[in-house]
Amino acid sequence: MPIVKCTHCQLEFDESVMITEESDPSLYFCCNGCQGVYHLLKDDGLDSFYDKMGNSKIAPPLAVDNDSSSFDMESFRQRYIKTTSDGFSSVDLVMEGIHCAACIWLNEKVLADKEGIVEASINFTNNKAKIVWDEDTIALSTIIDTIRSIGYNAYPYDRSQEDIKATKNKRDYFIRMAIAIFASMNIMMIDVAKYAGFFSGMKEETLHLVHIAEFIFATPVLFYSGWIFFRGAYYGLKNRILNMDFLVSSGATLTYTYSLYILFGGKGHSYFDSVAMIITFVLVGKYLEVIGKKNAVDTMDKIRSQVPLEATIVEDGVKRVVPLDSIEVGNIIEVKTGEKATVDGLLIGSSGTFDESSLSGESLPVEKKAGDTIYSGTINTGKVIRYSATKNYANSTLNNIVTLLEDALSSKPEIEDTTNELSKYFSITILLLAILTFVGWYWYGGDFEQALIVSISVIVIACPCALALATPIASLIGISWAAEKGLLFKEAKFIETFSKADTVVLDKTGTITEGKLTVKDVRGEILTEHLPILYALSDSSTHPVSLAVKNYLENRFKDIEIVELENIEQIQGKGLKANYNGKVVLGGNGKLLKEYNIDINLDSDYTVYNFALDGKIIASFELEDAIKEGAKELIAYLNSIEVEVVMATGDHENVARRVAKEVGIKNFKSSFSPIEKADYIDTLKEQGKKVVMIGDGINDALALSKADIAIAMGSGADVSLAVSDVVILNNSLQAIEDSFMISRRTFKFIKQNLALSLIYNVITIPIAMAGYVIPLMAALSMSLSSLLVVGNSMRIKRG
Amino acid sequence: MNSVLTLELTVGIIVSFTLLGIFIWAAKGGQFDDSKKMMDGLLFDSQDDLQSAVDRENRVKELKEKKSKEQDSKPI
Repeated sequence: MPIVKCTHCQLEFDESVMITEESDPSLYFCCNGCQGVYHLLKDDGLDSFYDKMGNSKIAPPLAVDNDSSSFDMESFRQRYIKTTSDGFSSVDLVMEGIHCAACIWLNEKVLADKEGIVEASINFTNNKAKIVWDEDTIALSTIIDTIRSIGYNAYPYDRSQEDIKATKNKRDYFIRMAIAIFASMNIMMIDVAKYAGFFSGMKEETLHLVHIAEFIFATPVLFYSGWIFFRGAYYGLKNRILNMDFLVSSGATLTYTYSLYILFGGKGHSYFDSVAMIITFVLVGKYLEVIGKKNAVDTMDKIRSQVPLEATIVEDGVKRVVPLDSIEVGNIIEVKTGEKATVDGLLIGSSGTFDESSLSGESLPVEKKAGDTIYSGTINTGKVIRYSATKNYANSTLNNIVTLLEDALSSKPEIEDTTNELSKYFSITILLLAILTFVGWYWYGGDFEQALIVSISVIVIACPCALALATPIASLIGISWAAEKGLLFKEAKFIETFSKADTVVLDKTGTITEGKLTVKDVRGEILTEHLPILYALSDSSTHPVSLAVKNYLENRFKDIEIVELENIEQIQGKGLKANYNGKVVLGGNGKLLKEYNIDINLDSDYTVYNFALDGKIIASFELEDAIKEGAKELIAYLNSIEVEVVMATGDHENVARRVAKEVGIKNFKSSFSPIEKADYIDTLKEQGKKVVMIGDGINDALALSKADIAIAMGSGADVSLAVSDVVILNNSLQAIEDSFMISRRTFKFIKQNLALSLIYNVITIPIAMAGYVIPLMAALSMSLSSLLVVGNSMRIKRG
Repeated sequence: MNSVLTLELTVGIIVSFTLLGIFIWAAKGGQFDDSKKMMDGLLFDSQDDLQSAVDRENRVKELKEKKSKEQDSKPI
């Protein structure tokens, strides 16, 4: 069968599974959601969305069942809605389902065309949206329904002061950096004329004009763009620390002052170009730091937006909506279809199904019966249920995870910044040497101008540019190289941490294995008369094992007869029991069969599903989770670079052992709960190890947050991606090998760069102190040292 | 020779600083806050998009006027 693209989402599927339309056979849809949205956009004249999408693919529309009326509630209003100076209402949202610029265009267009909406702007970089609307014309719930109708979703978030500050700071640095780059580029152009004149001769008046032009461009760079260095130096001095900012600002100011002296009558060359370059180079590095901080704030806002706002409690038959903090232990809570459970508790009354993917990573709904624990943060995918709260919100799973993540994000161990450590001593040393040079030359020579020029040469030649550039330029090249290979290092500092990692902890399901069960082997014979019964039994549960058996039967046998089973009963953790024509039908693991006194002697390293009829085993299915492509190669690579590999999984020991053996892992931990995984990482860290944790699913989120480096595979849940330090976009294990290779190589070059800049200073400073270097040569030599560092960093990608 | 150079430099500096000023004005208004959107925005400015933006602006203006009238007529 040919593969065709879904007309809406552009994902590719087998033609046989696609929905087609008689009226237009050229249309293919992968689901009803895509079909619905396509027609909605077409009817509203918004089908130019598909032209704007280009080659991008989007996810099929999100099916959101829950009611949007909570957006109109008073408690919501108090917490999230603000009133603008014009008297309109304003809310901040985090958008879900945004994949490309066309998604932004579509949402903004649909919202802006709606009567009553004053402003709808969505930020593509962080998916945050701001909506301003007139409450007399349109309700917020209608706006949310509009977003949902085109296949996206939105959650409110409380825009923190931290976020406002980070946005303002980023914009401020951006403007300062843009001015510095603009002025430096102009000065460089003027420099071409100046240096050409220096070697071939230039009239004094012409040189003076060139100096004036450079002065005009360099002044805003020093005093506006460079203001942050003066501020940093001031705070440093206040705390009695001579930091890098001090050296940058003092070096630039002294050079600027000397150049002013030349401009207004002194003999020689001005160094306004050096002033602009020093500030610009170091400022670019600072801007990258500011972006990193802003990203951390955005991530936390995304996590917070996932927390529900209120819950429905039932007291004496009366339903009441209360804020989360008011829920007490013992309260009966009602959860409608599609809603999230807000606190932990025990299910009462009838059974239900919950999507626990946010906690366990298990993508299929889990069936719950009366008395089973309901975890906060899981979504009710079945009918309306009620449960009794056993914990308040503060102690519930969801809040614990949010708090832990907040702590992890805000207190990630800051690795010791070698450059900053060095620069502290570097600054003091250079300053002392410059003063010493000035005093020495003035004392012995008696010429003030000569002494000043030589001491400035010392500061300029020892300019911290190379030192300041050593780390950021190499990191930048390393990060962009990684990005080309589908790896996102969230912050530059993770390169250093990664390069030092000596232990890798891997999750099993979804990381080493595909996370999808398939039937590997069948023992016994499936007779034609048994087939419909077995099929009906496997069809009556959504458990992954039942689904795998059902899929196997559907693929192997055609036109299976449909029969009805009676009294189907789910036996927790064991399987299913039912009746057919008065006979007992059983389907499940060995424990289930033993319970019904059926002998089973099957010792397997795989997950086993047995099918028994009337006390006799008919067939046993061995199921396996296929090993991911590249898993063996990754383990072999990690072993070759002497990195310790541990597999930590929640699975049974037999299964874990088999998988570990198959891929070549010697050390594995089985039957580990998410908390045990996190504790294990803590133990490793206490032993002094630098740990990389690789996982997916939110069940790994805790362990990921504890590790020195967290890697979430691309298909992982949003929160997992949020806590990870390195995100693998293409979901391939080869990318992990690349991460190790790139980070180690980049860090090697950072060390080389630092060594180069230090050697440069050790050689040139004594020459400058001896008076053999005029400031112009000092500035040129300083620029050359920067070039040396940049050139060396370029070699990173040649590996 | 130098007078030509002076004129060129003066005009160059004035023009470039004016452009820089416009850029700062746009940056302060938040136009470059979203780096991804900024890069793609240009592709989506078709005639239809611009027309609907104008219509939208007029509608918002009417809404604002209506709102301010309502606020003025409210008893103090």
